[in-house]
Amino acid sequence: MADSRSELLNRPVPDDLAVLARGEGVDPRQAWLSAETDLNLAGGYEQVFLLVEDDRLLTLARPGGRWARPVRVQLARSAVKEVRTRQGVGGGFLEVLVDGVYVEVLAFSNARADLFHKVCSKLKLWIGDRKPSVSREDDYNPRKCPKCGMTLEFKGDLCRRCINRGAVLSRIIRLMGPYAGWGILMLAILLASIGLLMIPPQLTKHLIDDVIEPAVKGTLTTDRAARDLMVLVVALIGILILRAICDSVNGRLSSYVGTQITTDMREAVLARLMRLSIDYYDRHSVGQLTSRAVNDTGAFNDLIRNVTGGYLAQILVVVITGVMLFSISWKLALWTLLPAPLVILASTFYWRRVYPRYFRVWDAWSRLWSSLSAILSGVRVVKAFGQEQREEDRFGRSNRYVRDSARRVEYATSLFNPAMGLIFSLGGPIVWYVGGLEVINNALLGNQEGLKLGGLMAFMAYLGMFYGPLAHMTTLTDWLTRLLTAAQRTFEVLDTSPQIVQADSAKTLTSPQGAIRFENVTFGYSRHEPVIKGVSFEVKPGEHIGVVGKSGSGKTTLINLLARFYDVDEGRVLIDGIDVRDLEMDDLRKTVGVVLQEPFLFRGTIYANVTYGRRDATPEEVLGASKASHAHKFIMRHSLGYDTYIGEQGAGLSGGEKQRISIARALLYNPKILILDEATSNIDTESEQLIQEALARVTAGRTTIAIAHRLSTLKNSDRVLVVDKGLIVEQGSHEELMALGGLYHRLVKIQTELSREPSVDALTILKK
Amino acid sequence: MTMSTEPEKTNMPEVSPTQLRFLTPGMCRIHLGTHEALHVTVRNERIYGGVYAAHAFPVAHPDEYISLLHTGADEEMEIGIIRNLNEFPEDDAALVRQALARRYFVHVIILIRDVGWKYGFINMQVDTDKGPIDFLMPWRHDRAFDYGRRGKVLIDVDENRYLIPDLDRLSLRELNAFQRYIYW
Repeated sequence: MADSRSELLNRPVPDDLAVLARGEGVDPRQAWLSAETDLNLAGGYEQVFLLVEDDRLLTLARPGGRWARPVRVQLARSAVKEVRTRQGVGGGFLEVLVDGVYVEVLAFSNARADLFHKVCSKLKLWIGDRKPSVSREDDYNPRKCPKCGMTLEFKGDLCRRCINRGAVLSRIIRLMGPYAGWGILMLAILLASIGLLMIPPQLTKHLIDDVIEPAVKGTLTTDRAARDLMVLVVALIGILILRAICDSVNGRLSSYVGTQITTDMREAVLARLMRLSIDYYDRHSVGQLTSRAVNDTGAFNDLIRNVTGGYLAQILVVVITGVMLFSISWKLALWTLLPAPLVILASTFYWRRVYPRYFRVWDAWSRLWSSLSAILSGVRVVKAFGQEQREEDRFGRSNRYVRDSARRVEYATSLFNPAMGLIFSLGGPIVWYVGGLEVINNALLGNQEGLKLGGLMAFMAYLGMFYGPLAHMTTLTDWLTRLLTAAQRTFEVLDTSPQIVQADSAKTLTSPQGAIRFENVTFGYSRHEPVIKGVSFEVKPGEHIGVVGKSGSGKTTLINLLARFYDVDEGRVLIDGIDVRDLEMDDLRKTVGVVLQEPFLFRGTIYANVTYGRRDATPEEVLGASKASHAHKFIMRHSLGYDTYIGEQGAGLSGGEKQRISIARALLYNPKILILDEATSNIDTESEQLIQEALARVTAGRTTIAIAHRLSTLKNSDRVLVVDKGLIVEQGSHEELMALGGLYHRLVKIQTELSREPSVDALTILKK
Repeated sequence: MTMSTEPEKTNMPEVSPTQLRFLTPGMCRIHLGTHEALHVTVRNERIYGGVYAAHAFPVAHPDEYISLLHTGADEEMEIGIIRNLNEFPEDDAALVRQALARRYFVHVIILIRDVGWKYGFINMQVDTDKGPIDFLMPWRHDRAFDYGRRGKVLIDVDENRYLIPDLDRLSLRELNAFQRYIYW
């Protein structure tokens, strides 16, 4: 029978330490929880054990340093009032509240942070007189690769060390699958073109050895020689015309296929970006992603062009001319291969030393894009604070970084490529010398089967074809490097798994009621810092809820979890009794609508922005929604009305106008649950009044959750939730909370003192 | 070991969360209290238990502007800031330094033995003040950020931190190996 004990929470204490512990009256076998940490409380690496028995906890380690005894901390359960983990820098602490003071029990490095968060949750039960269970199931950690144990970037991420990645190049080739037919056709034409290229030197050889030389020696009549000469020249012209046709057709085909693949890749990258969770955008700048979607995908077009007109053609030419060289004279051909070892050495150097510099160039470009994008997006702030020179300097630094990194690569390649060309060209003079001697000797000895002048001329012509592409091939590594780098960056986006995915058997929500329930929800944006801590609350269908709290208290996080922009770490969020993780994503999006503090409008007409969530809305519906949101009036002031084109992020409209359009958009979307995330915090009082009226219409009959800094915006709320440090500390109606005299009361007092209102009681509490 | 029970409270007002207060040796004493937890006694005010220390400017002023924070059952508050730790009695300063050493668990890289790259990870083989370590770090900008003018902090896959205080102090071989991959 498999052992059900946890490897992490039933960690065996080493024998020598167990002996020392028994000397202190501690039997490690009595502990229901035994966990190993890697740090001591002096901040140094040391093997320290936490043992928890029914009535006490203690830490155990070998004596040393400032600790003379193996038992370092020992506390009775009855003395421990609370347990928590506290994050340090690079590690953390398990702490318990004893005698009103938080005492550090042990320290851990970040490698063990997940383990001690789990230990902490067990200890919370333990001090509450509930015996927690410890089993092998506790060893499961969704942030660790089950195969190699490496920490993953987020729960459910693919382990890059373990995934079957294959070579980037073979993946690129696989991507060409849908274009295989076109590829075969291009390859056939390419082979025909190269075949035609091989014919002229043979004709030259025939011309010299069988026509010109016999004619000069008088062994061939002048008429016959002239006729043969004409035939050969016509054949040469015919071959040149055929090659030109082949190359032209292939150029068109490669353009067609290359641009198509690039278009497909860009769309695939954007489709993936659209599916990725919000947390991905927390980690990557817009500039970097733009560069990947636009620049890096262009590498695939480059690949196709080089396959047909560039490197593949040159590789084939090298191989076929190599065969021709050996067929003319294998001895001479061997001489041409003398530089090969030098080429291998130089290529090795290139991959190890020059290759990594390309990453710097790509990075520099990415930074330049980001820098410029930030400056232009924030130009109003720049001007408002008179920081033009500073931004010019900042851009200058990014620009010079591009220059310097490009120079580093280009200086290296400009040395490398000619050096390689020189190495290859060394074969030419050798062939002239060795081949020339052989031709002279054959002529003197009358050897008719040996190499003759025509053969040597043909050999030199093939050698030109051989060295030409070979010299060019020295940049193959250069090109291949850029291609692989760009492809890899593209694949990185395509390979990123969305953190938020729809369940396999997702449930539909055909007629949502708008009931919401949070059950013991815990969540943190970073691994070790929960922002929401075991929150539970319920909202009835159609109820209007206000959420208040200080900045950073976790208000917006609650909304992010409800809209499933992120998944909870623990607990559940339910809509109409269904866990949001089990809901069809489309149904969830249709059920939950959001009006943000910063309304985002897209480049396009006002009409397109109002109908953003419902492209099928009729003009009548758009007019109705805009009227209800107090947007219609200002829209009609524009000469083109709803067809007025607005710029990036709503440029040309005031904050209040943009917000009213976003409310019209929400109204048209008609969600059963509406979230107002500080929707009126950035606008003037007059606009706010208009928007409040609009919101009163929008929220009627829907479950509404309004986050607000201005408490006046909560006057329509049935209930107010007060959030503090990730917990709901108070809830009730305005009157109830005021009577309670807690945090809400304090916030109202502060705001009343700051506002012109004589008292918060002047706020009309309107019940729906 | 000093044992205290509930924090001793006086009629003195609580520390204002919006005002800066500098702690001086004349107004406070830093000592160990309950279960060897760090305590700060502010004269005519109260005893704060469960105190920890944090640098305000860990790079620019490592021995100055050290915040002492108290975490009670309810919330965290700053007791005050030590302007210059060297002004305090040696024993008090030593306790603060120990608290800082506990809070900042950072490996200081002394020697870079080798740097490799594979599939988006950088494999660093280094000697640190805590011994030789091989670690993997994602090859991303946010995993190697600036520390002062010429230093770098590296964060591995487990979010452990490794500090190179000054790149200029690396040998040419180490610097080349490092900057081949971490060039930003």
